[in-house]
Amino acid sequence: MHTESDEELVKRIAGGERLAMKVLFSRHQTRVYRFSLRLLRDETMAEDVTGDVFMDLWRQADRFEGRSSVTTWLLTIARNKSYSALRKRRDAGLDDEFAESIEDEADDPEVVMQKQDKGLAIRACLGQLSREHAEVIDLVYYHESSVEEVAKIVGIPENTVKTRLFHARKKLGELLKTAGIDRGWP
Amino acid sequence: MTDAIATDPKRAELELLLPFYANGRISAADKARIEAALATDPELAQRLDIIRDDMAETTLFNESLGAPSPRALDRLMAGMEAEPRKVGLLAAAKGGFMSRLGNLLASQPPRRLAWAGAAACALIAIQGAALTSIALRDRTGFETASAPSQSSERYVLLSFATDARAGDIASFFKRFDASVVDGPRANGYFKVRVGDASLTQAQLDAIAARMKAEAAIVRFVAPAP
Repeated sequence: MHTESDEELVKRIAGGERLAMKVLFSRHQTRVYRFSLRLLRDETMAEDVTGDVFMDLWRQADRFEGRSSVTTWLLTIARNKSYSALRKRRDAGLDDEFAESIEDEADDPEVVMQKQDKGLAIRACLGQLSREHAEVIDLVYYHESSVEEVAKIVGIPENTVKTRLFHARKKLGELLKTAGIDRGWP
Repeated sequence: MTDAIATDPKRAELELLLPFYANGRISAADKARIEAALATDPELAQRLDIIRDDMAETTLFNESLGAPSPRALDRLMAGMEAEPRKVGLLAAAKGGFMSRLGNLLASQPPRRLAWAGAAACALIAIQGAALTSIALRDRTGFETASAPSQSSERYVLLSFATDARAGDIASFFKRFDASVVDGPRANGYFKVRVGDASLTQAQLDAIAARMKAEAAIVRFVAPAP
């Protein structure tokens, strides 16, 4: 059976078809949610952002010109909305550092290392990366984005994507080294 | 320790591209350059191994984050209900077959249009059923970045050694009574079913450890959510 492309679905959404919207949501909700959750570190906020991203798509589907993929478009909106939500949280006086400290405590890589599991230690260190580093790592390693797509989503030049990713990888290696795992680099 | 790659501009340039070589999102020309360099540069190859390990763990990490609750869809549907799109028939039928149908309907006299309208409604109903089946299929499928899964089965994430032979891989799957449910992804990883929900985490870990011991076939393996 022919599976409609994302672009075909967006055209149908632009025509007001709710069923097409449900299909596109079902296809991409997890991707958008996880990307937002990594930035926001709050499940309720990530769910709200996910809904808002698709609401934007509902409103603006007729403006989609296909210059980038639907995935890139959705992740770009998700990133903008996540950072906007973070700014609002900061303005409301909620302590961002507190939210981060909860995650850090739960996933202490040194504690994990005591259990002798390198994979768990890497994951614990991934949870300790700054948002700036985590988003490029996630986009390239998990969402399988190209240099051009990351540049568009994050809003930085392509060369900056490469160097930022390099520094994120280096930071990850340093965190692992602190946790007792030396992989020979950095 | 001095980073020998970082101090050599040519190697440093290739090193920056390694993550995109690993995720498969690189031009053919850059891919060929990197493969030529990897053949003679063990330090660069080691850097690629680190990237592949991190890539696998990043995938596991993200998949452990779960999926949004039904609340997200409910909220979206309520929002759409409150803001229906105001579009004409032609705009609604933008593109592809629907575009041709829209143009055809717009050019018909009113009486024929009434019948065509009924036909369009029937078509939308049929397409609706088809779309629903796609949505349902996505829900029952494996978990990827874009589709949540049911947790009624147990999985591992694995990649094969570059020189593993097809026959060895086939007997590996037979030995473990395993089957591929997703992959290969662009980065070369497979999601593999190894049993149903009756497997405990300890049993799943033991299976992954046994698989890992087959280093001639498997390059990376870890339990997956």
